[in-house]
Amino acid sequence: MQALAERKRWRLHHIALAGVVVAFLAWCAEGVGLRPKELAGALPAIGEYFYRMAPPKWEFAEVLWKPAVETLYIALWGNVIALIIGLPLGVLAASNVTRSATLRNAAKAVLNLLRSVSELIWAVFFVAAVGLGPFPGALALGVNFGGILGRLYAEALENIDNGPVEALAATGAGRLQIIAFAMLPQALPQFVTYNLYWFEVGVRSATVLGMVGAGGIGFELVTTIRLFEWRETGVVLLLILAMVTIIDFASTWIRARIY
Amino acid sequence: MNMPDAKRKPMISIRGLSKTYAGGAGVPALNNISIDVAAGEFLVILGPSGAGKSTLLRCINRLVDPSEGQVFHNGAEITAHRGDLRAIRRQFGMVFQQFNLVKRLSVLNNVLTGRLGYRSAWRSLLYSFPEADKRIAIECLARVNMDHKAFQRADTLSGGEQQRVAIARALAQQPMVILADEPVASLDPKIARQVLGYLRQSAQELGITVLCNLHQVDYAREFSERVVGMSRGAVVFDGPAAALTDEILHRIYYREPGEAEKEEA
Amino acid sequence: MSALAFDAAVTSTLAEASRQRGARLVRALIWAAAAIAVLWFTGAQIGMNPVALLKGMPFMADFFSRMFPPDLSHLRLLGDATLETVQIAVWGTLIAILLSIPFALLGAKNTTPHPVVFHATRMFLNALRSINELVFALIFVSAVGLGPFAGVLAIALHATGMLAKFCAEEIEGVDRGPIEAMQATGAGRLQVILFGIVPQVIPAFISYSIYRFDVSIRAATILGLVGAGGLGFSLIKTMKLFKYHETATCILVIFVIVFVSDWVCARIRARII
Repeated sequence: MQALAERKRWRLHHIALAGVVVAFLAWCAEGVGLRPKELAGALPAIGEYFYRMAPPKWEFAEVLWKPAVETLYIALWGNVIALIIGLPLGVLAASNVTRSATLRNAAKAVLNLLRSVSELIWAVFFVAAVGLGPFPGALALGVNFGGILGRLYAEALENIDNGPVEALAATGAGRLQIIAFAMLPQALPQFVTYNLYWFEVGVRSATVLGMVGAGGIGFELVTTIRLFEWRETGVVLLLILAMVTIIDFASTWIRARIY
Repeated sequence: MNMPDAKRKPMISIRGLSKTYAGGAGVPALNNISIDVAAGEFLVILGPSGAGKSTLLRCINRLVDPSEGQVFHNGAEITAHRGDLRAIRRQFGMVFQQFNLVKRLSVLNNVLTGRLGYRSAWRSLLYSFPEADKRIAIECLARVNMDHKAFQRADTLSGGEQQRVAIARALAQQPMVILADEPVASLDPKIARQVLGYLRQSAQELGITVLCNLHQVDYAREFSERVVGMSRGAVVFDGPAAALTDEILHRIYYREPGEAEKEEA
Repeated sequence: MSALAFDAAVTSTLAEASRQRGARLVRALIWAAAAIAVLWFTGAQIGMNPVALLKGMPFMADFFSRMFPPDLSHLRLLGDATLETVQIAVWGTLIAILLSIPFALLGAKNTTPHPVVFHATRMFLNALRSINELVFALIFVSAVGLGPFAGVLAIALHATGMLAKFCAEEIEGVDRGPIEAMQATGAGRLQVILFGIVPQVIPAFISYSIYRFDVSIRAATILGLVGAGGLGFSLIKTMKLFKYHETATCILVIFVIVFVSDWVCARIRARII
């Protein structure tokens, strides 16, 4: 009897919860103007948009080479800066490396700060500071990714096998020696994996930095879209696709070789 | 309790050692342990898992700080030592159940980590060791017959080979004592005997005292003269391996919680 | 082994060690030189310039100083934009979750109906993944007009690519044991997928979806830069009008949203797993 009442209450509970979720979703849909009618109208419009991109205007590719390569350079340097910023902060934020809780929390706070401001907003700052061009783009990527990578580095360090660490402590090795011989070698493949992955992400992000004047192919992309040069836009999108795909393959190839 | 050969000065003397872990619900992992180990002895500490054997070894090289009692090494107390822990630890080589090699480093570099306790941080951070250290490391590898694999990565070796490298790492510390914590628990019997053989032989040749935790009676009988039996954090037997009767083994392996108090009374 | 033979063996290994160390050093130097050359060249190409950065410091300081103190009265006007940001992320992620399930099944080697479908799906998903939300937003804004609706679609498409690929890889990595057991009992293809694969994939899929929501929130905060709704619009508008005190308020609100969603998502994930 009691079990039955319990189950009934449990079911009511769930029905109520479902009701709340549905109401919340409906409220969200209303807020963003998402209605069946709009959606039905939007899909053909988007289809038409992509349809107009065909056939791509291949001659436009000639103009794009330079900004495309620049995009890759920005991603590369963004990663290098992210490594320079993220590695020390990540080491400081890892609980098995840094004993002082104050230092650890300070490092974590800085990482969070860098992480939560999008690279595009950072780009606006750096453009203001050093002028237009790819340089502020690389700085922006580097600062934002430094925050993200730092946290990932810290997690990689915290997840290493503690056995070798204990073994080295038992030999009388000092703190720095333990970090260099037992901790970093174990975490290194993870570090490389993260850097490669975030290089890929960096290329994708670098494609939009041009929107705020921070270099790369984004400037051409925005311009062609704003001028309704669909066939040129198509070329830019295909080029981005090709770049990201190639890098995807390359990083898979490298990853397979570092373990 | 059997005292060891009184003519030989004890290398290690443990007096009234107790350890209760924080969060261990007040149950002591070690309860008033006293043992003497003579220089050059190969002592087996026998007991089921959870008997406190690992904690005992770790109290000696201070990977764990005991709650009470003292450990003397060559007559000097090391439990109260508050200064340079590194200086204490490098005198004790340690061998672990899971080998604990740094898998991505070469065999030679793994053995060289045994020399870290003697070297300042800065040079070793560049993975650069003096020629003398390299010679020591390779000699130690040759003792366990692993010098031909010196340049392979540690994770390419079998379990038995990894443990031999780990023994070489402990030997490279040029220690007076080796603490072996279940060194063969993860190995099959044939390889286990081989590894214990290497451990005993190299210790004998270099005059190193060994404290070896085991939970298999056969190996204890085969490799040691003297056995200390532990159960639930207390020493329940201390004597020659030949004296391990069924009744004593029962006491080591199947002692019920209540019996400890009865025996003490 | 005799003492003499022992010594000879040690000496030869020692010689080999120094030879190998030398070779390693040379290799390391070559790699380092190559890396420096690449960084130097690419750095010069994009005008990496530490001096410019130092010279820019006063400008940055000026920028920051003009942002302080944040104009908190502006908060009143940000309420709607804040809610809109969350709403965009909610629906963007939800649509992505719904879309990614069929795509994942089509794009996993062990559930796809045909290899051609598999390759086509993976290619399509890669295309969705490689195009940034903001690029999609730009396109949708010009296709369906300004507003959060374009933002929802942008987030939905990009997140679909991410989620579906992740889920497809999870499906490919499932434990074969239970599936073989089911096939042995004579279960049909659909039944195997429903009872053999789905239960194994669900926890990771839910966990990743929650992570994706967290990422979508971040993305939604900047969609407004291209007119696709949310806080980004206020951010860029106040900046263009040089009302930096208000810009600071926007950034503060973005901070709060990101932190709260980070915290909530971590909590939910911890409870589910």
